[in-house]
Amino acid sequence: MKIENKIILSNVFNIGLILLIGFFAMQNLNLILTKLRFVEIADDLNASFLEMRLSEKNYFLYQDESALLDIKEKIDATERSIGQVSADISRAIGETNLDLLKSYLRQYAEVVDEVKTSVGHSVRIDAKLRTRGRGLREFSNTITRLERKGVNDIITRSKNVLFYSFWAILASAVIVSHFISQRILRSLREIQRLAKSISQGNFHKIEGSVPDDEFGTVIAAVNAMSEELGNREDELIQSKKLASLGILTAGVAHELTNPLNNISMIAQNYMEFYDVLNETNRLELMKQISGETERIEEIVKNLLDFSKPKESKLEERNINETVRKSLELMQNTLDISNVEVRTELGEGLAHVYIDDHQIQQVLVNLIVNAVHAMERGGVLKLATRPGEEERTVKVDVIDTGKGIPPEFLPHVFDPFFSTKGVGGTGLGLSVSYGIVKNHGGNIKVDSMVGAGTTFTIELPVYNKSAGLIEGG
Amino acid sequence: MADQKIMVIDDEKIVGDMARLALEQDGFNVETFLNAEPALERLKNERFDVVVTDLKMKGIDGMEVLRTVKRLYPETKVIMITAFANLDAAIEALRGDVHDFFPKPVKIKELKASIQRALAK
Repeated sequence: MKIENKIILSNVFNIGLILLIGFFAMQNLNLILTKLRFVEIADDLNASFLEMRLSEKNYFLYQDESALLDIKEKIDATERSIGQVSADISRAIGETNLDLLKSYLRQYAEVVDEVKTSVGHSVRIDAKLRTRGRGLREFSNTITRLERKGVNDIITRSKNVLFYSFWAILASAVIVSHFISQRILRSLREIQRLAKSISQGNFHKIEGSVPDDEFGTVIAAVNAMSEELGNREDELIQSKKLASLGILTAGVAHELTNPLNNISMIAQNYMEFYDVLNETNRLELMKQISGETERIEEIVKNLLDFSKPKESKLEERNINETVRKSLELMQNTLDISNVEVRTELGEGLAHVYIDDHQIQQVLVNLIVNAVHAMERGGVLKLATRPGEEERTVKVDVIDTGKGIPPEFLPHVFDPFFSTKGVGGTGLGLSVSYGIVKNHGGNIKVDSMVGAGTTFTIELPVYNKSAGLIEGG
Repeated sequence: MADQKIMVIDDEKIVGDMARLALEQDGFNVETFLNAEPALERLKNERFDVVVTDLKMKGIDGMEVLRTVKRLYPETKVIMITAFANLDAAIEALRGDVHDFFPKPVKIKELKASIQRALAK
């Protein structure tokens, strides 16, 4: 479910809860009003009943016949007023109680009539009058008391309902917002992790189930971008390789010119001195031409091999072989650039788990950079040695060039960062960084202006038993 | 002409061999070297009329050969050949009083003509 919908739903839930409580409170208030109205009526009735009983007392004390008439009038008045507000009373105390009240009143009236029509005082009828009068008043008092208690109960209940509803709404708001914010933060953290990983050149996807909300959309977009970048990375590696090829070509041109010149000179002499040369001489010259064409073939083959796009293929390799091959590729460039090459290749190094061509490309990039840094000549040293706890193998590419200023050092692996002006694409080291990181390795730089630069590549050793990468 | 001596220095053996084949047919006395050190040793004891040298070589390069030759024998002509055909190198070489400059691949006839001119001066 989308987060927006979850928020809407939780709001709807809370608003519903508030409306329900409001409705309930309103109902209670109405009920309280009805009850209060009845209590008001009941007070009037009680007053009337009290007056009836006072008249009843007068009758007994003074044998005043007119007191009975008073009672009768009051009963009639009370019945009239009950009739007027019977709806209110019925609402407050119910139909049954109303009927009871009416019947109490009627019975009282009947006794009064009985007393009036009887001759002389009958103890039985007098007692009946007292009992009925007391009964009426007691019933009325009880009902009034009960209704007062009812009002109090309703008020207490409303107070409680409002109190608990307040906490329920608060808890629901807090819990829902907590869950939603947790969900948002978790997704943000995941996306942040992915973005960081992408910025380091690892184009992984977010694995597992993609949530069915806004973050699902974002994650899908980021995954698509990551995949696209992954594809672009391959293109980038290839384009950088072609850029290196341009630099290599300058050296290769020189290298090709020599066998070409040899073939050319042999051919010129062959034609010029055809008659002078005997068959053995001619065959010897042809053999030499053949040898020179093989030289050209070898150079072209190396160049094509380097430039071809290749699927990444990790294999168990001896790093020293990779260093030697990279140097071979760069030999001509190095020869014509007054750079002296020294190698210090460690013996008995553990094998590494690498894509040979990609690591060659990294080394070629580093060697090209070293040569550029040593325009006036210098020493290029390539060394291999075991890393910490022999879980990795390290390759140092050390030059005695102009060095990198400290303020540039943190940026040398950033894409498009170049100090070579128009000559550099600023991609060489960034691509190299990506390649080494993809190998689970590391690349570091150390430099001192005027003294030179050292690049150190650290590659994981091949784990024979598991065939897995160790270290990193 | 038979006693005129020509030295050829190039780390490509075929260059020396082919230059020798072509020049000896014209009656020159040709000595070839694969690098500059033994060539310069030889020059200390022997004067050559023309020195043909490669520009870029491991160790002592063609410019160094030119300077040494000019110091020892100012009248000896130096012809520079190189696989690295770049104008800067040519200008630098010519400024150092080089007789001629040939980018590879070398036309042997042109080389011979240049040697003839050098000897005629």
